[in-house]
Parts: sequence; C-alpha cells; structure tokens
Amino acid sequence: METATHMLRTGRRGTLFELQMALRDLRASGQRIDLAWSLAWHDVTSRYRGSVLGPFWITLSMGLMVMGIGLVYANLFGIALRDFLPLVALGIVFFGTISGTVTEGCETFVQASGMLSQTSLPMFTFVWRTVFRNLINLAHHLVIVVAVLIYYDYWRVTDVPAAALGLAFLVLNAAWISMLAGIASARFRDIPQIIVSVMQFAIFVTPVFWPVSRLGRHHLVLDLNPFYHMLEAVRAPLMGGAVAPHTYLFLGGMAVIGWTLTFSLFAYTRRRIVHYL
Amino acid sequence: MKAPPVSISCQGLSLRFPVYGVDAKSLKKHLAKITVGGRLGSSHGSTEVTALSDVNLELKAGDRLGLIGHNGSGKTTLLRALSGAYEPDEGTIEVRGHIAALLDLNLGIDPSATGFENIRLRGRIAGLSGKEIDERMDEIAAFTGLGPFLAMPVKTYSAGMQGRLAFAAATAVEADVLLMDEWIAVGDADFQQLAHKRLLSLVERAGILVLASHDTDLLRLYCNKVMRMEGGVASPVTPIRKLDELLAAPADGWRQQTQAG
Repeated sequence: METATHMLRTGRRGTLFELQMALRDLRASGQRIDLAWSLAWHDVTSRYRGSVLGPFWITLSMGLMVMGIGLVYANLFGIALRDFLPLVALGIVFFGTISGTVTEGCETFVQASGMLSQTSLPMFTFVWRTVFRNLINLAHHLVIVVAVLIYYDYWRVTDVPAAALGLAFLVLNAAWISMLAGIASARFRDIPQIIVSVMQFAIFVTPVFWPVSRLGRHHLVLDLNPFYHMLEAVRAPLMGGAVAPHTYLFLGGMAVIGWTLTFSLFAYTRRRIVHYL
Repeated sequence: MKAPPVSISCQGLSLRFPVYGVDAKSLKKHLAKITVGGRLGSSHGSTEVTALSDVNLELKAGDRLGLIGHNGSGKTTLLRALSGAYEPDEGTIEVRGHIAALLDLNLGIDPSATGFENIRLRGRIAGLSGKEIDERMDEIAAFTGLGPFLAMPVKTYSAGMQGRLAFAAATAVEADVLLMDEWIAVGDADFQQLAHKRLLSLVERAGILVLASHDTDLLRLYCNKVMRMEGGVASPVTPIRKLDELLAAPADGWRQQTQAG
C-alpha cells in the first residue's frame, strides 16, 4: 500500500527523464509482483473453469500432441522412439512456452486497457502477467517432460541446474520479445497477425520436431535462429548433452540488445500506450 | 506515527489525446503514409484533441471538490489524470496520499468467475494484499447481501446483483484521495440506502474527494468547493455557495483569462 502514496506525473522532460520514469515503472512492478502472479493465476483458472480436469487439460492435450507427432515422425524419419520421443516432447513443450509468451504478448496491453486507463498500475505488471501465465502452463507441461525423460532413462537430477539456467535465458529473451510485440500490437493492429505467422514459420525451421543431425551442425538455419538457441539451452542438458558456449553467448547478447531496444521503445512510448488502446 | 499530508497539486496541466483512427492503426496505411508523406503534407503527424489545457488545481485535506461541466468538457479526463492513468503533455500533477478511483465499477470484473473471486481480484487491483482481503471478505460479503450467490459465477447474476457486488468490492478500500465519476447509485431502493451510507463514510474518512457530476443538488450536499470545466479549460476553484453564480457566468471570462495568462 506504500507504493501509491506519492504520485508525480509531468510532461516530457527529455530522454533521461523518460528513461527514469520507465525504470520507475519497472521497479513498481517488482514491488507488486504478487499482483502479476494473481492475475496470471486468475487467467489460467478462468480458462478451464467448469471443466472436469481443469488446468490439467493443458497437460493432457500436450501429451496427446507429443505422442501423435512423436510416433508419426519417428516412423517417417526411421529413428528409434527412444531417441526421438524425448526430443519431440522437450521441443514442443519449450517451443510452446516461447511461442505462447510471444503471441500472447500481443494482447498484453490491449487486454489490460480497462485497468490501464483508470489506475496507476505499472505497465510492466501486465508484461509479467503474460510471462507468468506461460510459466504456469509450462509447469503443467513439465509432468510430460519428466515422465518421458524417466521412461526413456534420460533423467538425471544433475542435469537440472544447467537446464534451469537455459530456461532462465529462454524466459529472459521471450519476455522482451513479448513486450515488444505488446507495444507494437497496441499501436498497429496488423502486428498480431504478423507475429502469429512468424511463429508458425519458426516452428518448422526450428528443430522442434526434427533432429538437428538431419541438417548437419552449423547450418545457418540453426546458427542464426534465435529460437533454436533458446530451445537448445534447455533441451540439450536434459538429454544428457552439453550446451555449446556460443549458444549462451548468442542468448546473452540477444537479451542485452533486445532489452535495450525494448526498454528504450517503452520509455519513448510509455505515456502514449494508454492512448493507443 | 504522524499521518502523512494529503494533497493534490496540478500546475499548468495540459493533456492532448492523439486520435489514432481505425485507419491509422493499420501498418499498411502507416507505411503508405510514409511513402507518400511528402505530397500529402497535411496528414503529417496525427490529429490531436486537447482534452485539458492549463488546468491549475490545489487541494488539501478536507477539500471536497465538485467538478461540473457539459459532456466532453474534460471532467473524466481530469479524474483519470489524477488517478495516474494519463500522463500530462505539459505541466505537473502531484498527488500525496493513497488514491482510490471509483470511475468504472465494473473494472476487472470477470463474468465467468464467482463473486468471491471477483471481490478478491478487484481488491488485488486496488492494492490490497491477500491477507487484507481475507480480513475484509466477511464484511464485503455481508454488505453485498448476495449470500450463497457469491459462490456462483457472476454471469448468472441479474444486473442489480452485479451492481451490488461491484459496488461492495470497489468501495472496500481505504483511500486518502477519493476520485468519483458520478455518485454511484446501484441496486434497489434498500441497497441504495446502504450504498449511500457506505459512500458517505468512505468520503468522511478520505482526506480529499473529487466528484464529477451534473447534479447540482448532489454537489451542494457533498462538496465544499466546485470547479467548472468547459472545453478542457477549468474555472478557478470556487466555494460551493457561489455555484449558481459560477454556472450563470459566461464561461468566456475565465477562459480568456486563462488563455491569455
């Protein structure tokens, strides 16, 4: 309750001031991070309200998709299920987190227009809401991931820290893309369509359900594909492999550049976003 | 512990709405505009509507300000600016104290969620912690008078029941600065009585009230000061007893004054 006891709003006072105000918004969202959690939980529970399985529909439908694609493609490629099913399961689950965070990012501010136009809630709160919602979905999917890994004997607790690091990189990058999409979509209503198309394209050029070995290491489609690196940082450790150093380098650089770009755009458009809606 | 001072201060507050037409929201149109921008010339930049211009306002604890003016005169915009949602284009707004804006009762109401869930959600948005909401839940639930219906989805409610729920949840806050767009009257006659009492006690506890209304009797009843809005320009803050004179006076006087100054 202490956060809102002093409010100062002024006209533009130069770039530095706008950056400070954007930073203040970020800080305020951190102080009320529990609000973002509440909203995200509310989103997840209300989507599955009235259904018997509730949020475990997320798990079940994902399980069916993994089974379907895994069985069909393993036959098509002529690869043993033991090698292929874990790859597909991890691929679909973690790519789903990236793609969900990014495409739902388009709705972040549009959906919150009511709250944004009559409260002083930080705008970042709604970015975290989208990110958290997708993390909650991911938590439901992890059941499948762990089950498949255990069944095919890939599961090692010692791999978890590296995978968690990879997930942190994945989320860090997905979050800025999500926010960038949110700002752009509020202003231009074509952006969501573009983003959905790009993500549909990306799922096929990223090794989500085909093995990297089919393309040969160091192919441009892999090296320059941000989604490949985001996926690989989580998937490789869980399947007993090592993450290439250049993947971490790529993701680190991408996070720094992406957040700088997104944050600058946010600082520039912050006071306008509410009018876009 | 000393209570922190409560105040509202606006200086030279101007607020312009850029109008992004349906066209302007399409990327194609925007790109097309850039390519042919040189020739069209006049369409350079977006149209802007001045919603508030050079509003000056100083309020301290105990002030009950009524805003009066025609539709579109800037009352709601001023309230939204005071709530922190709109950023000024020029000037400053400074508000000390916890702000509660009762502008839209249905803010954050999710029809598919139950009454209890909606009270919780609304409370979280208003800045209450989960624990604080739990503490107040019984009181809020009792006030709605909805009993067992609170466990049912809000979409099964009648309009009046929804109004009761929204009102109870929205007014369950403690505020130093209370912003209201129209006096909220919902529900049947019985509930309106209760609602009235509840609002009064909320107003009494709040340090500052800013109430926008067309109803002069209402303003006389609750406010001790009044400000008239006309096309985004505000009159000086006037004691409520001079309301008639303020309304009778042609707006040109203070408008020209403000614009000249």
